[in-house]
Amino acid sequence: MEPVASETISVEINGELYEREVDARRLLVHFIRDDVDLTGTHIGCDTGNCGACTVQLDGQAIKSCMMLAVQADGASIRTVEGLAADGELNALQQSFSDHHALQCGYCTPGMLMSASHLLEQNPHPTEEEIRKALQGNICRCTGYVNIVEAVKAVGEGRS
Amino acid sequence: MSTTTITTESGTVLEKGAIGQSIPRKEDRRLVQGQGVFFDDIRRHGTGYVHFVRSPYAHAKIVSIDVSAALALDGVYGTITGDEVAIHTDPFFEMSTPPGANIKDYALAVGKVRFQGEPVAAVCATTRELARDAAELVEVEYEPLPALVDAEEAAKDEVVLHEEAGSNIVWSGVFDWGDVDQALAEADHVVKIKRLHFHRFSSTPLECSGALVEYQKGTGQWTLYCNHQMPGVGAIWMAPALRCGIDKLRFVTQDIGGAFGNKICLHPYYVVLCLLARKLGRPVQWTEWRTDQHTANAHGNERTFLDVEVAVKADGEMTGFKVKAVDDCGAFPRYEPLGCIIWAQVTPGCYGWRNIRVDFTQACTNKAPVSPNRGYSRMQHLWLTERVVDIVAAELGLDPVEVRKRNYVKAEQMPYETPNGCVYDSGDYARSLDIALELIGYDRLDERRKDAAARGKLLGFGIGSTLDSGTNNFGQSQLLNPELQFSGNNEAAMVKLDIFGEVVVTLGTVPQGQGHETTASQVVSDIIGCSPEQVHVRPGHDSFFNSSAGFSGTYASQFAVTGLGAVKGAAELLRDEMIKLAAFVLQAPEEAIELADGFARIKDGPEEAALPFMALGAIVNANNAFLPPDFNPTLNHRYVYRPYFGVVDVEKKMGKLTLTYASQIHACLVEIDPETGQTEIVDYAAVDDCGVRVHPQIVEGQVHGATAHAIGAALHEDFVYDEDGTLLTPNFYDYHVPHTMDMPPLKTGYVESPSPVSPLGAKGMGEGGGGGIHAICSAIQDALRSEGAPIVYDSCNPSHRVWSMLQDAEQTRALVEVTSK
Amino acid sequence: MLLREVEYARPSSLEEALRILGGNDGARALAGGQTLINVMKSRAASPDVLVDLAGLGELTKISTGAGGLELGAMVTYTQLASSSEVDVTRPILGVVAATIADVQVRNRGTIGGNICSNDPTNHLPPLLVALDATMTIVGPGGERTVSADDFFLGVYMTAVATGELLTKVTVPPPGGAGDGFAALTIGTDGTCIVSAAASVADGAARIAIGCVSGTPVRAAEMEAKLGGDFGEASVREAAKGLGTTLDPPGDVHASADYRRHLAEVMAVRAVLQAAGRARS
Repeated sequence: MEPVASETISVEINGELYEREVDARRLLVHFIRDDVDLTGTHIGCDTGNCGACTVQLDGQAIKSCMMLAVQADGASIRTVEGLAADGELNALQQSFSDHHALQCGYCTPGMLMSASHLLEQNPHPTEEEIRKALQGNICRCTGYVNIVEAVKAVGEGRS
Repeated sequence: MSTTTITTESGTVLEKGAIGQSIPRKEDRRLVQGQGVFFDDIRRHGTGYVHFVRSPYAHAKIVSIDVSAALALDGVYGTITGDEVAIHTDPFFEMSTPPGANIKDYALAVGKVRFQGEPVAAVCATTRELARDAAELVEVEYEPLPALVDAEEAAKDEVVLHEEAGSNIVWSGVFDWGDVDQALAEADHVVKIKRLHFHRFSSTPLECSGALVEYQKGTGQWTLYCNHQMPGVGAIWMAPALRCGIDKLRFVTQDIGGAFGNKICLHPYYVVLCLLARKLGRPVQWTEWRTDQHTANAHGNERTFLDVEVAVKADGEMTGFKVKAVDDCGAFPRYEPLGCIIWAQVTPGCYGWRNIRVDFTQACTNKAPVSPNRGYSRMQHLWLTERVVDIVAAELGLDPVEVRKRNYVKAEQMPYETPNGCVYDSGDYARSLDIALELIGYDRLDERRKDAAARGKLLGFGIGSTLDSGTNNFGQSQLLNPELQFSGNNEAAMVKLDIFGEVVVTLGTVPQGQGHETTASQVVSDIIGCSPEQVHVRPGHDSFFNSSAGFSGTYASQFAVTGLGAVKGAAELLRDEMIKLAAFVLQAPEEAIELADGFARIKDGPEEAALPFMALGAIVNANNAFLPPDFNPTLNHRYVYRPYFGVVDVEKKMGKLTLTYASQIHACLVEIDPETGQTEIVDYAAVDDCGVRVHPQIVEGQVHGATAHAIGAALHEDFVYDEDGTLLTPNFYDYHVPHTMDMPPLKTGYVESPSPVSPLGAKGMGEGGGGGIHAICSAIQDALRSEGAPIVYDSCNPSHRVWSMLQDAEQTRALVEVTSK
Repeated sequence: MLLREVEYARPSSLEEALRILGGNDGARALAGGQTLINVMKSRAASPDVLVDLAGLGELTKISTGAGGLELGAMVTYTQLASSSEVDVTRPILGVVAATIADVQVRNRGTIGGNICSNDPTNHLPPLLVALDATMTIVGPGGERTVSADDFFLGVYMTAVATGELLTKVTVPPPGGAGDGFAALTIGTDGTCIVSAAASVADGAARIAIGCVSGTPVRAAEMEAKLGGDFGEASVREAAKGLGTTLDPPGDVHASADYRRHLAEVMAVRAVLQAAGRARS
């Protein structure tokens, strides 16, 4: 095999298979947003600190701005668009709304993907576990108070 | 105050139905599904992506720019440089008087660069990556000049940034009310503080700035899909520069990822995009990079306070103070000259000082331009008043709670006229403080100190009192420059009943997360008698809706007053017309008609005597032949809310500069590790009073967010420059913003002191006033009392600064001098 | 922000990876990408070719062998933090790994990437020096091992030469050793401002200070002064003067003097932690 400057990749996103040719240098987040038109995943920084680009890749929460699209060839990705089935908000999304865990909504998709990842691995997290799991998702609007409360409510079956 | 009704300023009584409830937010459904439409989500065929070429120097002459290599790159649509901008546009208008008035501010650097990151040229290409590649090929030759990074230094004018102005001083003036010299002469104690410094930081909204700009050649119409938070003002700057009519600039926003004032001065970038869209004949798109937002968008005011002198009576009453303030506005003043005045909305802070003198100077430096940032200009001044009270109390051995209560403006004194003619409409600061103290368990303070000491930590207790003045009177700009033709304020809204009975609202505001769609629906539904779910509020702002006025936008803590005031006015016009129409159709007197549950009906009348809204809408829109010629209902109303202030007194620098005054009293406990200087906030309470709370959950959310911003600023966030004018904290790696694990347990409380002067008794409150910064500074100073009592002199106290204070308390103590009779 | 043009390969064997790395001076290994992708986004460095190691499954294993705990170079921080094998043998590795950056970064970032990038603020270089780890490097000349003391050469520079790959890190069995790590970070669990790692066993200590130089610095004088006495007074006394032996950088987070002071504070904390956990 030889290194290539571009290649056709095959990525499953939210259950649908996408085949696209991409430059090797294309970031995964731009692939998701610009090439596949899933604009729910956002970009908030250029140093991998803010987490707005968080998606689930092969079951793990990762920052899609620190991955190349070519690295995702063959992977299974879940973005915020894959949470609600047919417009029915899932329990976490509903809990976010109930608890006013979003204001401008820009960090929300990444926050939901990190929180979903946590709840899948730890269905009844403590407040400390929630804060640790969401440490990589920056929000400038809410101060995190209601976000933590929203996730806790789902864990306690209160939503 | 009744819990079920609101008595508004006009005396009418509103039934509180949806108002006051935390109803589900309309915005949430789309946002939690990732279906929000932020400007970068909008796509147009044939778009060119823009990347800016930026100056690596803080101060330099531009010797030459060569774009030929960039243009030669396959996929590049075109470029633009400062020379072209200087030909096709006129400089942006300056707010200040000379010398500041003579600054030439163009959309790109012309002839010279004045801050690191200043855009010098722009490249437009088929993809974002290519635009970035091409930008590297633009060759710019610079001749570096000495960089000015200190406003006091800059004020000496040894190196001048703007040759056309001839001076770095943008504006200076003295504000003098009462007789502070007399107060100082009569004082029992005079406390002098040599220097205090409010640092440079910003709210760094998660979504960066940007726009997708289209130009229609046939009509000369530009459309900007963007996130400008004050389009009225943006257009006022851009239209003369572009030499076009204001209507040729259509601003369209929908969802905005936070703004906090940082998206007010986007006009230079937008002018470049407008020129490129016209030049290249295609839509152009630019999304700011995080690093560019930190280096080259806008920072909050940086202000140094010198030679403070405070007059104190023996019983702890503070009668006056004087101070010299030096404001660093960065390389271009833009909006910032207003900062020279806006602090005067809260001249005495929460306190009853009657004698105040402020000698204010604003100077340019080779740093990023300053623009409003959450708490704009008032926060800096309020921080000063809180530091003063805190330091006076510490030096004179006064109890920090008692000294505040003694000097606070009292609830009984409201409405309270300040020494410069502003009127605090309502508030109960002492009660708010009591609630805050209870929330953090103030009565167990000694116990907690001992417990902390046993673990080797220093416990500190602090109070931060602050105001959130809202609904500006732009007449304050005349105190800056009597020739400015700005005064008053306004906001517009439209409410209509459509043919199928749909209630549609369009707002003049530009929400960035404050839930305007939701709160507007609460107001409308209560007035016209339906449920909030039945009210459709169009998301975002579109200047083509004609529901905006000159000052439209979302800024300066005013939506609850101006935005909702406009919504209320339009809804009332609609309601009155609906009643009149229903009365005509049902052949009953107007007084007998009520609107409720989506119907217009005769009160206590039979069921048939009820018209659904749909019927009213259908009549007016499609079936109106039977209406008499002199009765012409439209069921479509635009209302411009205009708060009344009267005219300001330019000579005495007095007047009603703002309409409402929300307050926040914060209290916190910190533990400092004396070995490292690291501060941990172990308990925190914030008590907010914004009058009637239209949507309590939204109000509380704003308090949480403002507190988080303040904590970040107080302990971590600092835009630090080295002596060459290089920003050392240009991105989130080094500019640390609080994450989930940095936040303390946060308790909130509230008081509702309704405003007697606002349409709903509500006050604007989103900014907050930086209460957290004041409280944390106060707590750190308290914690360090046993270690030589250093003075907290800077608003930002990361561990290295606390450690310095621990190492050498004397150095900061030398800043304070007490003279007692 | 956006990378320059680059070529990419994802080999499925170590041999193939080495061949490609050896075939181009501008070729670099891509592990988790949590550092390299950011570096390339800012264009501070732009390799011509990225050799993605994700296909080399053998590098993701954690096992215990004769030499001790063997960690494949592509083991992620999440793996370290959740591995029961690590938890039983050398738990400090999992404890520290769990504090690096955040969940998303830990899911991708690797031990190999952390030590081969050798950013002076990274957690694992001083920790592995304190644990006396051994690095296994594979290249065209075969396989060789380098001790942690000799592995880190300078800022962003290690003993791994162009065309070579780090394949595993071996951490010796603890015996009765106790390990400790202390740091002052930017925000809670953030980037280190000054860090210290210590391992105490058989009355001796290995102490390494991070963030004060291009490579972790062994606090040799402090190690000697301790003389087997790990009581608090002795440890504090031994740490005095450590700062004067260092020449740390000053930056926006800490001046050189503050770093000197923090080095002493963190060294004391790390040693006390380690001593408290040691069983001999």
